Amino acid sequence: MSTAAREFLRNAAQKAADRANQRNIRRAIEHYNESAREGRARFLDWEAARQQCHEIKWEALNHLDEYLVEFEERVKERGGHVFWAETGEDARRYVADLAKSRGVRTIVKSKSMVTEEIHLTPALEKIGIQVLETDLGEFIVQLRNEPPSHIVMPAMHLSRGQISKLFQEKLGAEATEDPAKLVAVARQTLRRAFFSAEMGITGANFLIADSGMIAITTNEGNDRLGTAIPRIHVAITGIEKVLPRLEDLALFWPVLAAAGTGQRITVYNTLIGGPRAADEIDGPEEFHVILLDNGRTELLADAEQRDVLHCIRCGACLNACPVFRTIGGHAYGTTYSGPVGSVLTPHTRGLAEFQHLSFASSLCGACTSVCPVKIDLHHHLLQNRRNAVRASDRPWLERAAFSIWRWTMMGQRRFAAAGQLGRTLLRGLYAMGVEATPLDPLRPWTRRRAASAIPRKSFRAMWGQGGGKE
Amino acid sequence: MDHTENSGRERILARIHSGLRMPAPKHSAAPTAQMVFAAIPDPLARFQDECAYNATECVLMRDSRASSRALADALAPVPEGEIYIQDAPALRRLTEGSGIDRAVRWSTEGPPTEASQATVTLAECLVAATGSILISSAAAGRGASIVAPVHIVVAEIAQLVPDLASAVARARKSGGVTGSSCLCLITGSSRTADIEKILVLGAHGPRRVVVILARQLD
Amino acid sequence: MIKVHSAAGGTILTGRNFKPQANSMPKVSLFIPCFVDQLTPEVGFDVVRVLRRIGCEVEFPEAQTCCGQPAFNSGYWDDARPLAERFVRVFRASETVVCPSGSCTTMVRNFYPELLAGTALREEAASLGRRVFEFSEFLVNVARVTEVGAVFPHRVAFHDACHGLRELHIKNEPRELLRRVRGIDFVEMPLSEECCGFGGTFAVKFDMISAAMGETKAGNAEASGAEYVAAIDPSCLLHLDGILRRRKSRVQTIHLASILARTGAPAEAEPSKAVPQENR
Repeated sequence: MSTAAREFLRNAAQKAADRANQRNIRRAIEHYNESAREGRARFLDWEAARQQCHEIKWEALNHLDEYLVEFEERVKERGGHVFWAETGEDARRYVADLAKSRGVRTIVKSKSMVTEEIHLTPALEKIGIQVLETDLGEFIVQLRNEPPSHIVMPAMHLSRGQISKLFQEKLGAEATEDPAKLVAVARQTLRRAFFSAEMGITGANFLIADSGMIAITTNEGNDRLGTAIPRIHVAITGIEKVLPRLEDLALFWPVLAAAGTGQRITVYNTLIGGPRAADEIDGPEEFHVILLDNGRTELLADAEQRDVLHCIRCGACLNACPVFRTIGGHAYGTTYSGPVGSVLTPHTRGLAEFQHLSFASSLCGACTSVCPVKIDLHHHLLQNRRNAVRASDRPWLERAAFSIWRWTMMGQRRFAAAGQLGRTLLRGLYAMGVEATPLDPLRPWTRRRAASAIPRKSFRAMWGQGGGKE
Repeated sequence: MDHTENSGRERILARIHSGLRMPAPKHSAAPTAQMVFAAIPDPLARFQDECAYNATECVLMRDSRASSRALADALAPVPEGEIYIQDAPALRRLTEGSGIDRAVRWSTEGPPTEASQATVTLAECLVAATGSILISSAAAGRGASIVAPVHIVVAEIAQLVPDLASAVARARKSGGVTGSSCLCLITGSSRTADIEKILVLGAHGPRRVVVILARQLD
Repeated sequence: MIKVHSAAGGTILTGRNFKPQANSMPKVSLFIPCFVDQLTPEVGFDVVRVLRRIGCEVEFPEAQTCCGQPAFNSGYWDDARPLAERFVRVFRASETVVCPSGSCTTMVRNFYPELLAGTALREEAASLGRRVFEFSEFLVNVARVTEVGAVFPHRVAFHDACHGLRELHIKNEPRELLRRVRGIDFVEMPLSEECCGFGGTFAVKFDMISAAMGETKAGNAEASGAEYVAAIDPSCLLHLDGILRRRKSRVQTIHLASILARTGAPAEAEPSKAVPQENR
């Protein structure tokens, strides 16, 4: 078992027993579900929207090199810089060097899962730059010194009481649990930063190839302030975020909103095509786009699972997943959690180390049914399992067990005999009171569940003895 | 900083190219209605409904005179402090006609300051389907529509388009796409639900959004 | 090939030779999941009772063992494949196959073609997939009956097992059948579509998560006020039963077939258990 797997088992066990955590998570998801139903109902045909999104993303990913080159050309035409980062380290180094050379002391940062993925903030803090998260949820978890627990709702695992205490402790705020007052505290604290920071860092929801613009979606407007006032704007994005045309946004903006937050459309959908234009009143003097690979080309090369790169990071699969609802995002121990994280992480960080996430699923398929770009999520989990077996990465005991099981099942007499033997043994042991004790052969099952009565005779035995007669 | 040194670019593109040799399966669904969104028979009514839903104040005015009054009304509750207005002829006229006697900072003087209490701008277009406003940075820059707690937009009915697709088409035609560095589709008040999914209006951007929609501005 | 539209929105392809006529019920070959055979055999007999009551001739191909799903779901496709091939051969002469499990039916209909891709039996597997039906979808969509003479005067909630719901699109069929049961008080439980937490080997590999999911499902069943929670999948029921009894709940689990098998006859004093007293 890998280190990550061991840690996951420990954390998942703890979170599975944490009722308060589950209450917080389920409350947030229930709100989301209500809104999402409304959001989807706004579409004349939600299923058609999913299919169209799938096809547009398919087009974009299956011609990714062409679209990225087109995007880069357009960005440069407008005076922006494009840097292709193979690894997280390349991206971190570019930002750090840029910040150092421009005398940047403070950075205001918009929510970006990619920056979490490459652990950008610690690298910048190490060279003495202050990095402030400006999305409220991210701001909150930054104060708590922990990663976000959800792609879209970073602080969904916290109650307002916990947030109130946090603000009192870290910001000297008054004691209040009124969400409006708490938001006002955050607004006040961050406003000064927006006006004094030298650099704004954002992610990008979409990269529009034909116009060389990046699209950023928020409800708060923190991204807009961060890209209007500071003199340098750096956007870090995965290479897979490409859309071919500006027109595609007429579909993707409402779809992202419906699936991500259940809104009809998010408050701010911003398109940025470069530093400020010559005759513009404000805006950054410099605009840098960092295109990050970091394992995405690995995934691209796997034709069977290439559609995982369709992901628009809406979080719908997390909300639908019963495992996520039970253990929450932190337990996964990875940047991307939930179904998409479980599918993705083995590809970007290694199957040997992270296959356990693909096994930590009941394969219920809820994720696949809600994905707005029709990624075959639960089938990919199954494929990851198959790949792990093919790579001979599974415990030898398990491989042996399945070989024996297969042999037994290949003949009805073997099967019947093994079944009879097993049941007789269990009945005997249970009659001696062995259930749920260390001597119980079914202990992995009976540890958590009462054992069921073990029948004396099987169906086939009774049928064979005339039990099937009318 | 030397931006020409980027050897990763060739390697990434090469990996993409070779990775794409195998085609990926595509979901093929039975043909469904091409129209993903319902048609909008009455854009004006729809825009007003959506604004009501988004808590955007939408006032319909006959002409410039009425719009001037509406501007004065919209600014009346705004506390002491800078009013920032896009320096466009239509807005100059409206401001003059509104009779407001507070200090105005015009966009030609520079971007809005941190202390700005309200901003007034024109728009590229309005979108009926969602009650949205499309703003371009070519008008009054990027900050003008986000910095202050109140944002007032002045527009004509002729600028109302039915849906997002037509908004994009219009922006392309007007040169808004290539001619400005930033386009923003604004729908309602800045908001957050990051605390227990409880909706709070007025996060970092404007809490109050006002649309003065004139049948005709001279 | 006749296309029958399921009320849940999917399309079921019925058997090549079957025409839905009032007096002509198909001959059914039973596909009894391996663990039903060994652990909950009475569910199999309840299926037989109901099928015969509506006029089907029923046979049990004794050569069957397992569809291979446990190995397939754990990634051991090379171990699952020979079992799939064997299964296809065992049922090759069967006109119509009926199975009291959504997950096992899914394995055959939805996954055999992929598992057997590139092999000689792939076409046969696809054809078999069109002739295999989960029990409730067979009754409602193929046999076209919802009234099966059942009597069950209890409050019953229904758990939508995942494979049946999302892979076979079974949602309304069990409800149509349950609503016709005399005396029944059918209630919807909260989050009926959320997974119960069984998930095959997941139930033991990640048993703390599995159990917590089961606890959530158990709590929702209790909240509905039901005396029984029913489902079309015996594996869900096994898991849920274990959770409910561990927490000493008054809610009991029961397979849909076991409800439909009840006719209110005096001999049926106790609602039939998956393992009746005489088989303990």
